[in-house]
Amino acid sequence: MKKLLAAALGILTAIGGFVDIGDLVTNAVVGSRFGMSLAWVVVLGVVGIVLFASMSGRVAAVSGRATFEIVRERLGPRAAGANLLASFAINLLTLTAEVGGIALALHLASSVEPRLWIPVAALAVWLVLWRVKFQVLENVAGLMGLLLVGFAIALFQLGPDWGELLRQAVPPSPPGTEHPASYWYYAVALFGAAMTPYEVFFFSSGAVEERWTAKDLGTNRVNVLLGFPLGGLLSLSIAACAAVVLLPAGIEVSSLSQIVLPVAQAGGVLLLAVVILGIVAATFGAALETALSSGYTLAQYLGWSWGKFRRPARAARFHLTMIVALLLAVGILMTSVDPVAVTEMSVVFSAVALPLTYVPILVVANDPEYMGEHVNGRVVNALGTVYLVIVVVAAVAAIPLMIATGAGS
Amino acid sequence: MSDPRGEVRLVDARLHLLSRQVLDVDGEPAGVVDDLALAGPDGGEVEAGRDVHVDAILVGPVLATRLFGGRVPDSRLPRIAWDDVGHVGTAIELTVPSDRLDAAWVERWVRDRLIARIPGGRHDPEAGA
Repeated sequence: MKKLLAAALGILTAIGGFVDIGDLVTNAVVGSRFGMSLAWVVVLGVVGIVLFASMSGRVAAVSGRATFEIVRERLGPRAAGANLLASFAINLLTLTAEVGGIALALHLASSVEPRLWIPVAALAVWLVLWRVKFQVLENVAGLMGLLLVGFAIALFQLGPDWGELLRQAVPPSPPGTEHPASYWYYAVALFGAAMTPYEVFFFSSGAVEERWTAKDLGTNRVNVLLGFPLGGLLSLSIAACAAVVLLPAGIEVSSLSQIVLPVAQAGGVLLLAVVILGIVAATFGAALETALSSGYTLAQYLGWSWGKFRRPARAARFHLTMIVALLLAVGILMTSVDPVAVTEMSVVFSAVALPLTYVPILVVANDPEYMGEHVNGRVVNALGTVYLVIVVVAAVAAIPLMIATGAGS
Repeated sequence: MSDPRGEVRLVDARLHLLSRQVLDVDGEPAGVVDDLALAGPDGGEVEAGRDVHVDAILVGPVLATRLFGGRVPDSRLPRIAWDDVGHVGTAIELTVPSDRLDAAWVERWVRDRLIARIPGGRHDPEAGA
């Protein structure tokens, strides 16, 4: 049991990073429009995030330096500042979307107007950040988020034609009804969602919060190898549910209630309740993760004292940053902007910012001054280099594709 | 430079000092090396062609002028004296607590005026709920 709980950091990072409100929506949209033909992107993204999260965790465990300290140290104040600006903006957009997502899920469960839930949700997020121990936070949010496994149960109960799902997935080809540019736009969006930089900011800072040392490298490996593939499987089952129920019916996903439609159809009220609870937990976990990441990135760039393991008064500017970020998120949501649209945007923009985060991690993971004997092996470096090429291609293609396809419409 | 063990090692200011994390004697973060103040051999002005040494680490507002140009008057530059530096590694370790540094006044201001005044601001999260 203790071993299992030790994997909680990876599970929360993965649940919060993979199946946050943005991925719920993106996966369901993709499933309902392209079937399983984009499943390969999820697999590609899982391998990439496993690779770089484990690298950032290893750097944090061995050297005690979290990812954004390394970004600043290797890129210098200018390039790191540009990365900070981009990452902070994406973080804020994602945080906004998550707080909105909690409100939408609670609205689904209670039919109380979402805008009444927004301040309640934000206050609850802040109270947890202010008061609750890091280990409790990651265990509760991560394990409750596992309730999303309800999507996988629903898929089995729907009794789909597995052969047909497989035919859509391999070899991957866009359905004839869709334009290839839209197909590639969603490929970049899914990839960006899987490899969102805040996942490594959170994961590496979490390793410092938990005071990992070189002895914990095994825990690091278990975390990434268990957490992220699990998140990937949940993503795939959400897409598959949509592909089985929504695609043949010609329903295009534009709200949370449509995403859970296949679950309600397959498992009735009970399974629906389980999944909604899972969505609340996953979006809540992602809200914690993004709020913390906004504090982590700014504090690490400027060298402030940070971390949940300190008393708030011993990390004053870190806590102030999170409070300001939450207030901004509530402010944005009160303009009645659609949280779902906000995340769709932030996912594509995060694809643009990927290289600025992943290059310094790869460089420092090879620096013996930081890593001693734990520098990257040859296989990891070869894979890392291949992924850097993919990441750069995705970053360059993201904005042109967004403009060419009118954001996928 | 020589470290406490008496070993002499070559340090590249740009590679090993600039943008490194500064930790105080208790391992608490105390800023990042945003710039360095250099001084001549006897603490005077820096002259071309003569020896210089690092006089202080500059943190905080100096970053803005380094990025966007301009100059902050010397009296306004929060500095950490080089004499307070104990060890240069993947972080710069000081021999004094950060509370005693003038450069930490912003953190102290935010703490005393805002964060410590919110109920629970001094609560230790590791001590349980």
